[in-house]
Amino acid sequence: MKNVTLTINGITRQFVVGEQRVLLDLLRDDLHLTGAKQSCDKKGQCAACAVVVNGEAVRSCLTKVVDLNEAEVITVEGLGTPDNPHLIQEAFVLAGAIQCGFCTPGMIMAAKALLDKNQNPTKDEIKHAFRRNLCRCTGYNKIIEAVELAGRFLRGETTPDQVRPDPSGPKIGVSHPRPWSMIKACGLAEFAADIIIPGALELAVVRSPHHNARIKSIDSSEAEKMDGVVGVMTAKDVKGSNNVGPIFKDQPLLCNDHVPVLGAPIAAVAALTKDQALAAAEAVKVDYEILPRISTIDEALAEGAPQIQQDYPNLCYQREQIKGDAKAALSAAAYVVEGDFTTQMIHQAPLEPEAAIAYLDGEGEDAQLVLMGRSIQVHAHALALQDVLGWDNIRYKEAFTGGQFGIKTDITSEGLVGAAALHFKRPVRYIPSLTESMLMTTKRHPFWMSARLGADKEGKITGYQIDFSVENGAYNSLGPIIVDRSLEMLSGSYNVGDVYALAKLVYTNNAWGGAARGAGPPQVNFTLESLMDMLAAKMGMDPFEFRLKNTLKPGESMSTGHVADEWAYKACLERMKPLYERARKDAAAHGNGVIKRGVGMAGASFGVGPANDVSNVAVELDPDGGLSVYASVADPGEGNDAMLTQITAHVMDMPLEKIRIITRDTEQTPDSGISAGSRQTYMSGKALVKALEALKAAMAESGAKTHADLVKAGKPVRYLSTHTLSHTGLDPKTGQGVAWESRMHGAQMAEVEVNTETGEVKVLKVSTVVDVGTIINPLAVVCQIEGGMDMGAGMALREEYVLGESKDWVTFKFPTMKTSFEMETILLESERPNGPLGATGVGEFTLVATHPAISNAVCDAIGVRVHDLPITADRVLSALGKK
Amino acid sequence: MNAESKPENDPKVVRDIAGAEIAFDGEGFFMNPSLWSEDAVIFLAREAGLQELSERHWTVIRFLRKFYSEQGKAPLNHHIKNGTGMSLMELEALFPGGIKYGARRLAGLPNPKGCKRGVPWNVKTG
Repeated sequence: MKNVTLTINGITRQFVVGEQRVLLDLLRDDLHLTGAKQSCDKKGQCAACAVVVNGEAVRSCLTKVVDLNEAEVITVEGLGTPDNPHLIQEAFVLAGAIQCGFCTPGMIMAAKALLDKNQNPTKDEIKHAFRRNLCRCTGYNKIIEAVELAGRFLRGETTPDQVRPDPSGPKIGVSHPRPWSMIKACGLAEFAADIIIPGALELAVVRSPHHNARIKSIDSSEAEKMDGVVGVMTAKDVKGSNNVGPIFKDQPLLCNDHVPVLGAPIAAVAALTKDQALAAAEAVKVDYEILPRISTIDEALAEGAPQIQQDYPNLCYQREQIKGDAKAALSAAAYVVEGDFTTQMIHQAPLEPEAAIAYLDGEGEDAQLVLMGRSIQVHAHALALQDVLGWDNIRYKEAFTGGQFGIKTDITSEGLVGAAALHFKRPVRYIPSLTESMLMTTKRHPFWMSARLGADKEGKITGYQIDFSVENGAYNSLGPIIVDRSLEMLSGSYNVGDVYALAKLVYTNNAWGGAARGAGPPQVNFTLESLMDMLAAKMGMDPFEFRLKNTLKPGESMSTGHVADEWAYKACLERMKPLYERARKDAAAHGNGVIKRGVGMAGASFGVGPANDVSNVAVELDPDGGLSVYASVADPGEGNDAMLTQITAHVMDMPLEKIRIITRDTEQTPDSGISAGSRQTYMSGKALVKALEALKAAMAESGAKTHADLVKAGKPVRYLSTHTLSHTGLDPKTGQGVAWESRMHGAQMAEVEVNTETGEVKVLKVSTVVDVGTIINPLAVVCQIEGGMDMGAGMALREEYVLGESKDWVTFKFPTMKTSFEMETILLESERPNGPLGATGVGEFTLVATHPAISNAVCDAIGVRVHDLPITADRVLSALGKK
Repeated sequence: MNAESKPENDPKVVRDIAGAEIAFDGEGFFMNPSLWSEDAVIFLAREAGLQELSERHWTVIRFLRKFYSEQGKAPLNHHIKNGTGMSLMELEALFPGGIKYGARRLAGLPNPKGCKRGVPWNVKTG
């Protein structure tokens, strides 16, 4: 042990620490300064833990305390508070640089170190200073803009008050600061691992080292004798169904006797400390009978292939879409193109690990099991966990959530902590590693697609045929939903004439797919938008004009047969035209050397408001003149806090600061459904407007202006509204019907450079023109678009999850400042009649068009097409015949 | 009465019940809870094997409806136990399909599968 004197946030103290103690653990575990976050298993890959030491930004996870004697440390908590924020914190809030907020403290401390030395850094200097800081939500541009804005504040060129929109001005259509941004900027937003439960047991999980095996025995006797170990839990100790599969009953919380995938959970060890739990988990002996691994769809569908899940065939779901006679249309077409395309498995890659905590409130059978985790649908998860755990009284309190992008549609760590809290009758924390978080979660499904697209001699598309197989992996999760969504948006933004599609969902012993931003349409849109370019090229048409010619129009029908009553895509394309012409000129002027330039287009028309959707929202006029909104509208970064607040202030003509939002607790909120599928603005925004209108009507009827007036008039002060969609979805035999009530539309253009000697692709710029109806908060919309573009570029060029090989952010090829690129977003507004105040959703559209736009740009640059994502340097060279 | 407009295995079924056209999802849950009526629930109960709905059945159904209309969420088991004074075992036995797929369906509450309701269309869900 060593004695070290440190000054932390202005307070000088002595610490006696071991040689290996790192600053991050001292800050978080000993001082409860939880602003600095842990994401990358302390490998120094993400800098979410960055603090300033002696004026330099350091990764506190790598910094040994014994090396810091007499050092001065500043953490985000030492910078400012919500009542008295630092100018850098103000800049991050006002620039829209904060979405989920998990990376924010590290970003802000990197900015502090940079701006203390240089108040006017160039973009390149900012990129260099932030080269180690990772962010999944923003695409980095807004962070660069925040640092530049902070510089202007620090140089005295402007002030936050001059930049901040007038809070007394219009409430919608204005980028008012998001209500929760400042507590995130100050490191005070509590993510699950930040919540303190003194004496809580720490959980470690024994996971399968095999891809397919049968458990012959589990021997935990040695583990149970180890220091600090309270007990070892296996499947037999889970009192409920022990199944967390949301549709199929194929995914045990803890494996019974069969292990269908690497990393499947076998047993959970509870101990007084995390190290003790991890050590004991190593000592649990599991005897396996190793079974052959089925690792491809072909193997799974081969005659005589063993069934991966006992109760379900390997081909577990199959659907067709039939509109007209695609075969005849393609036979008669003047031009036909065809091709095979694949998309890869991708980890959604939220920066926060899958942390959760649980405890029992009360005694005996009536005790309430309280879960705190990253759920984006607390009511549905509480209801499901009631059966999984066999416990009737469950409360789910959502912690702040460090990104999710679909991954938290499923139950993950909260199931294990819940089972452990019930079994051991003690509070339990489960803070898994990044590697474990990757093993326990769904992924974006890989698709294998074969398709043909035909047009008549005038260039009008007449037929589209596609067969696609989706690798489900070892568990089903939402597999059928992903297949359905792919068919529901199969024709993208276009009128493709007659359609035939055949989709298959197949189990393998691989990581399993689930909800991932866009969830199906991004995969099939890659094929359609690639064929669009191929067909245009075959006909000698400009791909932009070809899209304009074939855009769907109101009165025409999609692949589902649904006749569109609006189709704002054409206006998006028309607005993009001058940008496209400029990009073409730039590319032509670039010349034709080793580095080649390309321009690519793609579009997306994304469904919002699924069949049979429901949201409930309540509003209550408060005695102090405020208004509370009660809605289980999780906000893992999208800006639902702003949506609820600004809609309420607008409808009620109230100041923004009078609006309170209560969203994160099953006890306090009605069920507003899931924060996925780009649905919350459309569904809960509408339920909110209806509830507010009921309140306003009661106030008008009684002449009440205040809570007291309403009470005096004998009127309720609380109004609950349910918004239900009654359209019925697709016919299962034909894939025809109305799948979505509304659509968001957008066109994207990518400009790239390809090095024909190395095969490397550099994205120069992606431009987006999008119409998402009435805009509540423009900056929040732009932030969604930019983050999605960055994610789309990752899908196009880099990211791939390989089970057993992708273990951290480096092996996953997480996007960085270095891979970021210029973005331009143009917002169009055409009111959607059924949306709240004319709005629709936005979150997923952006990802659907980016990767095909980049792929088309690469093809435009080098003249050959890469059909498989990601478009790595090797694949480019291979396409060029150089490898 | 009971004229089905879609074939077997169709997830969404529109039925004419007591003079009203009511759409149900693939598992028989009301797609529009506002179309719930006592006549409809009597019909659906008979179809599920309950020839008569006793006062205890109605106690549960009314509790579920009241809870949902006031709270905007489905009750957990402990709410139902406390609200009806019945044990979980009695509640589960009272309705074919138990609380989740029996009582809740008859009471016109949304399908507990949430966004997964109606899916899968024709495969075994376990």
